[in-house]
Amino acid sequence: MTTVSAPAAPARRDRKHPRLHRFLHQGGLELACVLLGGLALWSFLSHVVIPRPDRYLPSPGSVVFSSADMLWKGLLPDFVTNTVWRLLIGSGLGLGVGIPFGILLGLNRTVSDMFYPILNFFQSISGIALLPIVMIWWGTSEQTVIFVILYTVLFPISFNVLVGVRSIPRIYINALRTLGASRLQIARDVILPGALPSIATGARLGIGFGWRAVIAGEMLAGQRGLGWMIFTAQQVDLTAQVILGMTLIGIMWIVLDRYLLRPLEADTIQRWGLVQR
Amino acid sequence: MEGNAVMREKLIVEGLSHHYPDEYTGMDIHALDNVNLKVTEGEFAAVVGPSGCGKTTLLNILAGLLPHKVGSVRVDGHEVKGPGPDRGVVFQEHAILPWRTVERNIGHGLEIQGLPAPERKRRVQEFVDLVGLTGFENRYPHELSGGMKQRVALARTLCANPVVMLMDEPFAAVDAQTRITLQEELNRIAIATRKTILFITHNVDEAAFLGDRCFIFTRRPGKLKATVKINLPRESRVWKNAVADPAFTGARDEILSLVREEVRDDDG
Repeated sequence: MTTVSAPAAPARRDRKHPRLHRFLHQGGLELACVLLGGLALWSFLSHVVIPRPDRYLPSPGSVVFSSADMLWKGLLPDFVTNTVWRLLIGSGLGLGVGIPFGILLGLNRTVSDMFYPILNFFQSISGIALLPIVMIWWGTSEQTVIFVILYTVLFPISFNVLVGVRSIPRIYINALRTLGASRLQIARDVILPGALPSIATGARLGIGFGWRAVIAGEMLAGQRGLGWMIFTAQQVDLTAQVILGMTLIGIMWIVLDRYLLRPLEADTIQRWGLVQR
Repeated sequence: MEGNAVMREKLIVEGLSHHYPDEYTGMDIHALDNVNLKVTEGEFAAVVGPSGCGKTTLLNILAGLLPHKVGSVRVDGHEVKGPGPDRGVVFQEHAILPWRTVERNIGHGLEIQGLPAPERKRRVQEFVDLVGLTGFENRYPHELSGGMKQRVALARTLCANPVVMLMDEPFAAVDAQTRITLQEELNRIAIATRKTILFITHNVDEAAFLGDRCFIFTRRPGKLKATVKINLPRESRVWKNAVADPAFTGARDEILSLVREEVRDDDG
């Protein structure tokens, strides 16, 4: 008897340059102004105000020149890939351990009560504070840096997944039980997808912390990479290279967050209506 | 034949009592006291009672979500020991999964049973059409209205083809207009599928409109107080006619006065 018809999807409005239009509408213009203003101020300070700018504040031009020089020698791509690889491996391991661990904690209150104080204790010890002991074990090696990233990623992901699993409505689990689902089917069809918003949030948070940890780790225990580049450049007064390194760290994070992490979050979660934005 | 008669009774509850400690005070709560009832094949049984009379406790025990120690619950001759696909439950709130489309929610029971995809798809479509959700197969629950979500929940339960369907105030959370439509729809679907249904509600009109029989419960500890038979052919149950039909109004008034006796004065 019911004759409800599916409403048609809203038609896309045609625009000549939809990307540009969106960019300008989302504050792109303001952003561009702020950036240009910042560059102008920086140039002014460097050229007019600061004495010995090469040592204290090289101009944007000399930073660009320094990057061109390092690109030419092939050092920059090498350092960037190094750092990114470390982040990927360390974060991958951190998520690989943290997600199952968080689920376990979320499902079993006895286990989580047992682990909670320990987790809280370690959460307060930042990765950088852990470095000295790890360096005593493994020296300045790849292992050391990766371990510190893993350690840094582990806590935000575990805590987020724990909270995520606990916030899954009990009724979803009961409904599946009455459909005859096994524990494994419940884990696959309810727990995992139900915890996905928190997994995504925890991963984004964790990788953000991991990105800081990799730079810090490379500074103290690395032999290559962006962090190492900044640190060694400082020791030989290559200030332009220090600024270049800092800038790259910021830009690469924005790219990583915007083109990898956010779309991952949005694709699954917003579509299900679990996160209203 | 004796054996035949037993099999025609799809749901048998005998001497069921239940106590549980209160979540906050720890005080013992006597929720159900010696409940006996039978629901025969294809029957629509409504359970009415004042709030807190143990209706939901009863449903959880029948569903197997809550273990019982005293008395017996049998479905199709088998003692209930836990949740199982022989009893389908439609819950009060939206218990459908937000990360599954309408189609995948409805087919979830069949997926769990391991039915091959092509057969499943055919069955799912049948129930999508039955509950009037044609065209919404690929929508997610957050894109649907409250009434439509309950249609999905109903279809999901029906699609798994349970022996007995248990419904726990499934229309309590939707608006009055939608509720009337859903009640008429459920009546039509019950006729079409000939399902055995136990329907829990605190709404007297709803119980009289939908039920072949209505079990009235006392206030806590919940006991079966009376059984009222509603002699209104299911085919003629539409609200427009029912309100003027003495078979409906008579049963409704009788149920109402029985329930009113159980409502404490201080409840208003």
